[in-house]
Amino acid sequence: MLKSILKCSAATFLAAGVIATSASAEDIRVYFNAGHGYDTYLKVFEEFEEANPGFHVAFERYQWPDLRTKLVADFAAGNPPDLVAEPGAWVPEFAQQGLLYNLNDYVARDQAEFDYPGDWQDVSVEKNTVDGSYYGVQIHLTCATLLYNVDMLKAAGYDKPPTNWEEFREVAKATTKNGVFGFAPNAAGGYIMPWIYQNGGQFYDAETGKIAMGSDAAAGAIQFVADLIHKDHSAPVPVTGADYEGPQRLFTAGRAAMIITGPWDINPIRTGNPNLNWAVAPSLKEVEQGTLQGGVSLMVPKDAKHPEQAWDLIKRLTAVDVEVATSLQYSMTMPRKSWLESPEVQADPILGQFGACLPYSRDATLAMRQAGKYKPAIDEVINGAIDEVLYSNKPAAEVMAKAQDEANALIDNE
Amino acid sequence: MTYKTKRTLIAYAFLSPAIIYFIVYFFWPIAVEFWASFRDGQPLIGESTFIGFRNYARILSDQLAIKAIKATLIYAIGSVVFTLVIALGLSALLVGPVRAKNTIRAILFFPYIISFVISALMWRAILDPYTGLLNAALVSLGLPQQFWLVNPDTAIWTLVGVSVWKDIGYAVLIYIAAIQGIPAHLYEAARMDGARRHHLFRDITLPLLMPTTLFLAVVIMIGSLQEMALPYLLTQGGPANATRLYSLHVFETAFQGLDIGYASALSFAMFMLILFITWVQFKLLHRDIKHV
Repeated sequence: MLKSILKCSAATFLAAGVIATSASAEDIRVYFNAGHGYDTYLKVFEEFEEANPGFHVAFERYQWPDLRTKLVADFAAGNPPDLVAEPGAWVPEFAQQGLLYNLNDYVARDQAEFDYPGDWQDVSVEKNTVDGSYYGVQIHLTCATLLYNVDMLKAAGYDKPPTNWEEFREVAKATTKNGVFGFAPNAAGGYIMPWIYQNGGQFYDAETGKIAMGSDAAAGAIQFVADLIHKDHSAPVPVTGADYEGPQRLFTAGRAAMIITGPWDINPIRTGNPNLNWAVAPSLKEVEQGTLQGGVSLMVPKDAKHPEQAWDLIKRLTAVDVEVATSLQYSMTMPRKSWLESPEVQADPILGQFGACLPYSRDATLAMRQAGKYKPAIDEVINGAIDEVLYSNKPAAEVMAKAQDEANALIDNE
Repeated sequence: MTYKTKRTLIAYAFLSPAIIYFIVYFFWPIAVEFWASFRDGQPLIGESTFIGFRNYARILSDQLAIKAIKATLIYAIGSVVFTLVIALGLSALLVGPVRAKNTIRAILFFPYIISFVISALMWRAILDPYTGLLNAALVSLGLPQQFWLVNPDTAIWTLVGVSVWKDIGYAVLIYIAAIQGIPAHLYEAARMDGARRHHLFRDITLPLLMPTTLFLAVVIMIGSLQEMALPYLLTQGGPANATRLYSLHVFETAFQGLDIGYASALSFAMFMLILFITWVQFKLLHRDIKHV
């Protein structure tokens, strides 16, 4: 009995010793989006740990809203992580509040081996620059474009995807049958932006410093989508919820002929229905060709305990070979010019189509964020108004004009 | 040291963990939040300035906050009324000679112990207008498809329905205990006087259940006023902000909007409202009910 107690105690002390040894390694705390924990990145972390003995990458994954909540709580507690991924709008916001690490010195020091910003698409650098200083580095650069079910379009008599609104409406009507919709719109407010850009509209007018969602172009675009739902009955009312995968699920299940989405939905479609015959088309053109831009950047909090190691991780995670490997495996599009030029990417038809929409894609709130005028309450007002049009079929011109005034009042109150 | 002093010190020594816990995790955060509610800028994460009651005054002109207050009141009152009425009816049935009543009680109580995340995922699957089980059932019965959570007019009531489903078991449990505690001689005397079953319920059960009803009303009301998980997980406050409950508004103002001073004022205003309701509860529940 005594022997077994002693054995147990010895084992406990041994285990405690092992735990203590691993705990003695310095943790580099990295916050990432839950969907982006790619194998290629995990391999980068392993390589980093091998090259930096004594350091361990504590990789924490959250959905975007939870990641933000955790990060803000960490800022409040004075204990932020070392490296954070953000969904495309937080860098200017946090940098303007003095919460981010200025990366200028690192950029200048490593210019020879790490060509930042020279090898990055201009727009991705612009997103991460505040008052002339670099506060973030883009890791993914994405855009949303048209995905279509080739077989459904063929069955309805169309060999090619639509290129403008009139054709789109015609195809959507023709492919709508019992239980199958021609088009499945997304509930998230941002997904209305491709239509607005295509109609010559914009979210925010940088010249006047005002919200422009009440313009004829913007209201006309929203009305067009509402008409697909309520007049033509060729699109379902979008489903609200904590995720925005509804249209992708309908498309994957063969219950929607067309959706508008980004490269993040490629793998779920491929794995969800490997037999689906689908393709990616250029974005539609009405007044002009345009679509929504998205992406992810990496940023280092000002009070990070290990900024040097965080910068090292940024360089490793955005290395061209890592970007190419990640995009080939996970179908994600990337911000580096040399990524777009790589032969493997050029040879991939799906990545190529998404890459092709990057030049005409736009970030809806970038100008407003850079002017320091952005407030989430503006999004709530505008999204609420879009919902009223799409869900309750209220006239877009009237609803959006009212919402525009309300949103501009929020800017003016500042 | 006297014996009395020694006993007092020992008592405080035993109480000190609880006292420290309350100071650190309850009173201190409330004090910090109160401090932050009078400041503009980034009171908890950066620089801020004192602005007096401006954050509180701002609530009155915040259209989103007003919409959230309206939605929250509909949700809270709807949840209380439907939960109590249904729970009272079920409890009255379940204290009688019903077959498998323990199984029925267990089934009714089951939603109460399921986590909000699982409940929300389950109801999302059931209520999805295109792939949901409920619409599939309606269509198979020849009834029209319903847009439960995606119609701004029905979304808040659908949320009330989910809330009632979740809380009903708890209310039934409390009601059954209260009904069983009513002295049997009251019913016997009434029966001897010729009272029928509905008279017994109306004139004995219902009045004697008043303290229980008030207790449940206040507890469910407070829980509903603070509700965030359901709208966050089911609708994200949409469509058209129809299910944007007050707590969700506070959460988004603080963490999405980084408007921490204003969010503190919003939550402190809610704290005061809940404190008021609790005070009402004490006032009402302190009335003695005498079993004559």
